Amino acid sequence: MSDAEFKTLLLSFFGLGAGIYLFVNGFRWLREKRLIENTPTSKIRSLAMGLVEVFGEATPKDEKLIKAPFSNKDCLYCKYTIEEYRKSGKSSHWVTLKKAEDRTFFYLKDETGAVLIDTECANIDIPMDFEFDSSGGKDPPENIVKFLESNGMSFEGFLGFNKTMRYREYFIAPGDRVYVMGTADDNPFVYEGSSQKSEHDIMIRKGDSFYYISDKPEKDILGNYEWKVIGGLFGGSATIIVCLFVIFSILNML
Amino acid sequence: MAIGFAIIVGVGVSLFLLIFLTYAVGTFNSLVRLRNNIDKSWANIDVLLKQRADELPNLIASVKGYMAHERELFESITNARAAMMNAKTMEDKANADYMISGALKTLFAVAENYPTLKANENFMQLQQRITGLENEIADRREFYNDSVNTYNIRIESFPEMIVAELMHFDRRELFQAVESERINVKAEF
Repeated sequence: MSDAEFKTLLLSFFGLGAGIYLFVNGFRWLREKRLIENTPTSKIRSLAMGLVEVFGEATPKDEKLIKAPFSNKDCLYCKYTIEEYRKSGKSSHWVTLKKAEDRTFFYLKDETGAVLIDTECANIDIPMDFEFDSSGGKDPPENIVKFLESNGMSFEGFLGFNKTMRYREYFIAPGDRVYVMGTADDNPFVYEGSSQKSEHDIMIRKGDSFYYISDKPEKDILGNYEWKVIGGLFGGSATIIVCLFVIFSILNML
Repeated sequence: MAIGFAIIVGVGVSLFLLIFLTYAVGTFNSLVRLRNNIDKSWANIDVLLKQRADELPNLIASVKGYMAHERELFESITNARAAMMNAKTMEDKANADYMISGALKTLFAVAENYPTLKANENFMQLQQRITGLENEIADRREFYNDSVNTYNIRIESFPEMIVAELMHFDRRELFQAVESERINVKAEF
């Protein structure tokens, strides 16, 4: 077997694995899509306990906000990554140096009321809000430098030359319109019967089932899921069949 | 036929069958979930209807002293409450709910003519509580109807209708009062 054939065989096995991953996840995405489609949106003032779907504006609880580390924006949830571009012989790729989340409780408000949201363990689907690339001749801004120093990292490498690095943030800011599908449960911060308004006695959090948060409206979420399901089931199947074909061709089993 | 080709054909057919079967089973489960959601959302309305019905005797007791001449109005509320307590079917409950809502609207409108009543703290709290319950009932009625609508659309759409027909999923009715059964509550000032 030649070198090229061996590499093709390896790639095909990798593709086979990817195809199986896509195919299996296609069923999961189909189940999640159906759950979102089949659950009507509740008004917050009349939330019932159990799995609910709500849509509204994110507002801080007790004016408590967190700072996004790179953009310095006030937010209610933030996910960030720091990556470095590394070369190894002929190949090069991005390596994730740090990936973390920061969160605080916030209220989701619609025209009828507000409900507390705990984003812990949620599948949070939000687009990237900030990106900065630093490289030779392009230093990161001061707040990123301070953040790197406080985490024992540096943007400078060998002989003080800048490394090629990438800083990304994904956040939910006050005022963002947010979709939440989760479990409405008792609010542990409110003593039973102490609140006149029932919505303050309820909190949405991770329960036994699906917990999903996005800053897209439901129609766009379902559109994305449609593509994921098609890609997963049919794309995954096609990838499996094509990779098997290539593998058996190389192994002279066809 | 080379073994590799046979394996590829076998895998392809298996994948297709798996997608087809999983879709069919998933559709059935989805319809079951929708049907159970309707029952759950109905139960959630029922809870609030009962809470509101339980508040009515307190409300009548708090206003009777001030609005002694509004006997017809108290009777209509009492009759509407009795209709709700005796209602067995959803249609009966929807009609009773309509009667109670109408009677309460009239009562609160008439109460505007009695300033001493309006200033009574007990009455104000009850009014606030019942108005809150009315709003929640309206929301949950809308939610129930959304659930029913989603379910009805699913069982009548292709390809879900095939599973729905085979597994006997029937249409469900919306929560609404029948026009002929509605009784208008009139108050005399």
